[in-house]
Amino acid sequence: MGKKVLIIDDSNTMRKIVTRSLRQAGLDFDTILEAGDGQAALDVLAGETVDIILSDINMPTMDGIEFLRQKQANDKIKNIPVVMITTEAGGDILDEAKSLGAAGSIKKPFTPDQIQEILGGLL
Amino acid sequence: MDLNKSIGNATQEIFQTMLMMEARPGQPLAKRDEVFADSVSAIVGMAGTSKATLAIHIPEPTALVITGSFLMMEVAEIDEDVKDAIGELANMVAGSVKADLTEQGHDFKLSIPSVVCGAEYEIDCPRDSLGVIVPFSIDGGDFLVEFHVQK
Repeated sequence: MGKKVLIIDDSNTMRKIVTRSLRQAGLDFDTILEAGDGQAALDVLAGETVDIILSDINMPTMDGIEFLRQKQANDKIKNIPVVMITTEAGGDILDEAKSLGAAGSIKKPFTPDQIQEILGGLL
Repeated sequence: MDLNKSIGNATQEIFQTMLMMEARPGQPLAKRDEVFADSVSAIVGMAGTSKATLAIHIPEPTALVITGSFLMMEVAEIDEDVKDAIGELANMVAGSVKADLTEQGHDFKLSIPSVVCGAEYEIDCPRDSLGVIVPFSIDGGDFLVEFHVQK
């Protein structure tokens, strides 16, 4: 069965750039799902199983940190790896993401090679 | 910390990495007009150990070029895609400047970008603040990046 990825970002532009970068990195997912914030992502995950999640942190409605917290509390989805794609270069917020189970992080701006390097080891 | 250098490096890296374009910084400006015409402006608030704002002001034709490069498609009019793309551009520049400030011991949280556009609108320069205004040119136009931090 083909692999599925869920991209969570409130920016439609960034979701398109991430989608394009996945293809440029040679990571050909059969299905690319999108959500505009953490709550929308939880709604998607209620009906879909995905192999990996790429999530922004700074989003309206439900940010990436609260999404990680909710995901950790849900046995059905807690084991799906999440990579944060964010403007945050480090500091407390990425430490918090890691403590909530984030498998890695990619700083915006990024290259397809950086995407491949992080995701390649998780798929 | 050299804010001009931080803004210059951040903006150049974003254009090079994500837009495949060269953004050439010019001499920093002492002030700018407060009224913008036929432009798009994106503003990111930064709150923490002090308050700051980062803003990008782009004439509409240049905003169309930048959005078209982000999306790899022709963009003919100012729409939600353009506002979203310019907001994300400001978000990335603010994130990079924040990283440099964090190394200096400052701690900020970034707001969601606010975007305004139109035939004529006014954005005040923050009073009682330290600020830098850096002009950039790309193939397709010019734009300004400004950063102000409360004294």
